[in-house]
Amino acid sequence: MNARLNSASAATAHQRQWFAGLRADLADGGDFALVNADAPQEIFRTMGIPYVVNQWWSSIVTAKRRAQDYLELLRARGLPDDSEQYSSIPLASAFDPDPASAPWGGLPRPTIVLAETTGDASRKIFDLWGDQPGVSFYPLESAAENDVPTRWWELMPRDWERAVGSDRLDLMTGELEGLIRFLEQTTGRVFSETRFAEVMELVNEQQEWNRRTRDLIARARPCPLPVNDSIPSVMIPQWHRGTTWARDAARAFHDEVAERVASGTAVRPDERLRLMWIGRGLWFDLDFYRRFEESHGAVFVWSMYLAIAADGYLRYGDDPLRALAARFAAFPDQLYTPPWSAEWYVKEARHHGVDGVVHLVSEDSRGSYFTTRALEAAGIPVLELHADNVDARAADGDGLTRTVGDWLGTLTLSDRAAGG
Amino acid sequence: MPAALAQLLALGTGPGEAWGPAPVIGYVGADVPVEYLTAAGLHPLRLSGNPEAPHTAGDRYLGTGLDPAARSVLTRLLDQDYGPLDGLLVSRDCEASLRLFYALRELRRVEPSLTLPPVHLVDVLHLPHRTTTRYVRAKFAQVRATVGTWAGRTVDDAALADAIAAHDRLRALLTRVASLRRQRPARLTGTEMLTVVAATTALPVGRATALLEQLLKEAGELPQHEGLRVFLTGSPHDTPHVYAALEDKGLLIVGEDHDRGDLLHLRPTGAPTEAALAERYQYNGPTAPRASIRARAAHTGRAARDCGAEALVSYARRHDEAPRWDYAAQEAATGLPSVLLGRQPYGALDDGAAEALTALCPHAEVTR
Ligand code: SF4
Repeated sequence: MNARLNSASAATAHQRQWFAGLRADLADGGDFALVNADAPQEIFRTMGIPYVVNQWWSSIVTAKRRAQDYLELLRARGLPDDSEQYSSIPLASAFDPDPASAPWGGLPRPTIVLAETTGDASRKIFDLWGDQPGVSFYPLESAAENDVPTRWWELMPRDWERAVGSDRLDLMTGELEGLIRFLEQTTGRVFSETRFAEVMELVNEQQEWNRRTRDLIARARPCPLPVNDSIPSVMIPQWHRGTTWARDAARAFHDEVAERVASGTAVRPDERLRLMWIGRGLWFDLDFYRRFEESHGAVFVWSMYLAIAADGYLRYGDDPLRALAARFAAFPDQLYTPPWSAEWYVKEARHHGVDGVVHLVSEDSRGSYFTTRALEAAGIPVLELHADNVDARAADGDGLTRTVGDWLGTLTLSDRAAGG
Repeated sequence: MPAALAQLLALGTGPGEAWGPAPVIGYVGADVPVEYLTAAGLHPLRLSGNPEAPHTAGDRYLGTGLDPAARSVLTRLLDQDYGPLDGLLVSRDCEASLRLFYALRELRRVEPSLTLPPVHLVDVLHLPHRTTTRYVRAKFAQVRATVGTWAGRTVDDAALADAIAAHDRLRALLTRVASLRRQRPARLTGTEMLTVVAATTALPVGRATALLEQLLKEAGELPQHEGLRVFLTGSPHDTPHVYAALEDKGLLIVGEDHDRGDLLHLRPTGAPTEAALAERYQYNGPTAPRASIRARAAHTGRAARDCGAEALVSYARRHDEAPRWDYAAQEAATGLPSVLLGRQPYGALDDGAAEALTALCPHAEVTR
């Protein structure tokens, strides 16, 4: 089965067209924001301030093979070229002597940048943005909690106050109120509560579609689509969330998957092993995921992108601003902080009935030990692949393929019984 | 060597002496409000790593991409290297500390046989906003309650006020001692000063205060030190290894901007209240992992001038990411000859660093 999913192609086309429109709209100036992936973009959506997601732009630059040029621009300023590259590459566009040569005609110059103060270095990248003429940086605190209830995915949609904790929510809500006032003052635009409620509702609808799609794939035998098609089908609408286009794109993705399930379309009709991929995408070799279909009947049925859309975003409640705070106050914890991350991966592995997990562990492994441990304790075989997801130099592609192939050979029927 | 200095240097960064019956609470990072521990009659012990010992267990649980100082602390905790601890307060002074907390919390949950002490996160945040202050106060109320549980008694306002005064007095004394190394010629080396500061974080506040007072009385007997006067920025130093290696090369570290040195004591609490305490910790700094590039550069520029520094050295430990982002602005702010020693091994200088230092100070052997 090789036909690409329509929703994946449609999303990619939309993104291009949208970006061209953005560039045209901003030709004579205007407000434009560059925001981090895990920052509350819904505020900008509500106020009609266009934005681009920092890491998305980074992946475009990388895909167009310009990453090294951009890193050189940082190096020339005495800045690190080997620290937080995924977040820092777009910063180099501010220093680009030839911005028109950039991918897609270049990133418009932001007037506002938004990021949370996570990690030790990522906020520094935005400090440097904030030093550029005409750019304001609005930093958001990132707080942590002592005790967390383990099964967060059951609580988050409605009982997020308990899941995230009131202190963190008070803080984030205060920060968002400050952000709104800041944007009202600097852009002269209005924050309408009515519009905001609509945006929040659209986001929830979109994630409900993603949730249904995730559940369809979890139950389907054999798997109806390759994992590399699900990534653009989920992620591009994710960056456009809060629009009717994005909600409809999520529904179209769902309908297409449902149709495939109904008609029995399969990645491999003779699917023998169902696999889960934990970790960021292997961007330098997306075909990797399909390499074991023929040789082992092994199909990757899971990546975090659709699953986190299904479980990580839904927030209902009477106070939309506090609900939005709840969406972001603990966002990275869901994926990377034990016990939340570890227990969630186990739940998803069982839900999808996987026979094994390939766990990409980079050197900087946030909570990886505990994830592997939890899966193995649940009887699910895990292969840890030690490699970096964006830096192909650190990984020996043939070696990775061999390692996974050898491991698949060891997944016996008894293993599968234990894992199911 | 005068008696007080000898005693302080002997204490070093190791685990504290036996302190009678008071339970010992280990803590990680300068963002832990030790005042609560003192007020509750508990003995605070700041934890340091050990660059000379392998940190295999820490690598296993935290990954090898995290600050090795934190991996070493986790290893030592698992090895019970600090002696028996009755509790553990971990601050969020940097990403590595936060991840250390998460690992400890999870190890206690899934591997109870490891017998780790109860652990509590102290989430002090640093943006200069009222919303942040309110959050820090909420976290301090939690710390106060937890410490009260560990001590078996509530921490009352009077005891807290006394503890705040006692720790402010210690800070003021440390600032006076630090001025001894600013003199020309200096009466303390950077290595000695770092070790003295470390000793005060392993002693009960009263004992530390008494030793510092004695040290100041004996200041006239201290030997004199010469060398290229250097302001050290970059990573914090939990042991004197790197200071000693730098000073062996003819440098004299007259000041630094990390929280195991000058940043630990420069800012007093002032008022004897919990509100003042929260603000003290929120606004303490600016440290590399938590401050903006601009705030950090302004501070480094000012502090280097105040120390009469002749050069700026930034030492960035491998996997300690923030300092390298700060460096370009710090270099510009000080206007001094400067060098960035990036991606250094834990507790040591690599060969490239040694070479870069020779370029900064070509006649080092001569001056020494
Ligand atoms: S270069 Fe020579 S004279 Fe100048 S400070 Fe270094 S050792 Fe002293």
